[in-house]
Amino acid sequence: MKNTIRYLALAIVSLLPTLAWAADVSMSGTSLFRFEQSAFPGFTKQTIVPATQFFGVDVDKIGDGNLSLHLYGWGRVDLADKSTNEQNDTDGNFTYGYLLYRFPTANAEIKAGRFFINEGVAAEQIDGISARANLKKGFALTVFGGAPVKLDRDRHSKGDYIAGGRLGYRLAGILELGVSGLHEGNVTLDPASGAKDDRQLVGGDIWFSPLRMVELNGHSFYNAATDGISEHSYSLSLKPLKTVTLSGVYNEQHFKNYFTYSNLRSLFNPDTDGELKSYGGGVTWALLAPLEVGADYRRYNRTSSINNSFNTDNNGNSNRYGMDLRLILLDRKVRSGISYHRSEGASGFNSYHEVRSFGMYDSGRYVASLDGIVQLYKYNIFNRHQAYELIGSSGYRLFPELLLSGDISYTRNPRLNDELRGVLRLTFNYAVANKGAKK
Amino acid sequence: MRGAKLYIPFLLIACILAVTACSHIFSTEASLPAWHPEALGEGRVDCSECHEDQVRGVMKATATFKHSTEFIKQHRFYAARDGLLCSICHASSFCNDCHANQTEMKPPIKLGNRPDRELIHRGDYLTLHMIDGKIDPVSCYRCHGRANNEKCIRCHK
Repeated sequence: MKNTIRYLALAIVSLLPTLAWAADVSMSGTSLFRFEQSAFPGFTKQTIVPATQFFGVDVDKIGDGNLSLHLYGWGRVDLADKSTNEQNDTDGNFTYGYLLYRFPTANAEIKAGRFFINEGVAAEQIDGISARANLKKGFALTVFGGAPVKLDRDRHSKGDYIAGGRLGYRLAGILELGVSGLHEGNVTLDPASGAKDDRQLVGGDIWFSPLRMVELNGHSFYNAATDGISEHSYSLSLKPLKTVTLSGVYNEQHFKNYFTYSNLRSLFNPDTDGELKSYGGGVTWALLAPLEVGADYRRYNRTSSINNSFNTDNNGNSNRYGMDLRLILLDRKVRSGISYHRSEGASGFNSYHEVRSFGMYDSGRYVASLDGIVQLYKYNIFNRHQAYELIGSSGYRLFPELLLSGDISYTRNPRLNDELRGVLRLTFNYAVANKGAKK
Repeated sequence: MRGAKLYIPFLLIACILAVTACSHIFSTEASLPAWHPEALGEGRVDCSECHEDQVRGVMKATATFKHSTEFIKQHRFYAARDGLLCSICHASSFCNDCHANQTEMKPPIKLGNRPDRELIHRGDYLTLHMIDGKIDPVSCYRCHGRANNEKCIRCHK
């Protein structure tokens, strides 16, 4: 927490000279006051009142107009009982803070600071630098490097440094191929023994659309440290009509190679050496302009190479299917939906029904919504077989940039006799200059 | 950590050298704008309502990025390739509503006034995760395998 405050203070101070030279400044944030009263069976009621502030600043058109600064983070303080099991009643996180220089051509940019990198095999938060550019003849290159951002609770959960990149090739409107790699040094593999190794992943990705109605998306990742495929993940979509989309998916993960670098090995244990294969499909039909109907199916199969005590029927093998309907009216002012999904486990234990329905109205000035969800379990969990939650929300836009809203929710489920939660929310999105649409 | 400190200036210098050396092989096409020039309405967008043909820079049809239910389910593929296009309309903080190294609360609480958004962990997910985690632990791992698991560890030690 102290580090977070230091980072935020440093970031805010660093803003002052920047603001003086910047043409555009925008600020956004959400203030949340929660009031929750929960009754656990056999325990006294707990009351928690955490106040949370999310805050972000974007300073654009600095210097020659191509440089920008982006900051975002959150902080929380408990006003009543502690809302977490941690010792402190405050918490916070410096989510990102980076300088971005965008070149006028080639979609080239350089980013430096704390940010998320999501390129091919890499989906990381780093303190470092990245650069990307489109090259001639359809090629594109991204490189990044720095130090992986560590968790507060476990400073050894990530490696000492990280670097990687992606090289892509695009054939206009038809094909994109990419190869990517990532290297993270000195990752703790087993906290008990202190064993360390380098994390090394390479991957290939594809987007292929030979016809406008056909689109293939997917990637395969290879764990170079354990010498094995960690994941195949592919999706095929067909649009035979403008209003109809058919889709098929196939996923395959090998735990030995996929879970290798988890810092939560009790949960994601690579030693089980199992694998998960799932496949399925769906259809979406825009029946009328405001009405969309969808149906989906997914089959999951798990296998395990460890002894017979691991029952794949109790741990994985299952069918999931369902359908949903969305209705949008009055130029998107009214948005509503209803859905039903069923999970059907091979042994019955992993079986449940889920029904959800919501409706919201957003006139621009007034906002109101109602959202209900029910889960019916096939077998009792903690002597109950159903859970439900109902959330009602209402809001008023005090100014175009400022929305005051409040939620009330009531929950009853296998863990809680009941839970009543109130949320007071103040959302602002303020921009000094009109540079286009707000983000 | 010393390795990391050495790595950062090395990479900075390497990037500057690479940019300079490779300047003659860069595409000369104008970059995508930093912001969408006009405000967009709330709800799911369909770029092809106004735009035709291909999106400059990413070389894909605008219809590819229509925010259908299917697109939202598979958005990770697009984000890992065409994040630059996403960033025209979405600030990084939009992604952080769900994806972060450390989150403060589950997304449906933070955005309780937006039931129209596809947010994970609605309802009594603390009970439900016992089932979903057995069926598809990979879906848990993507967000909680190496980060954002400070709450998981309270029970899963």
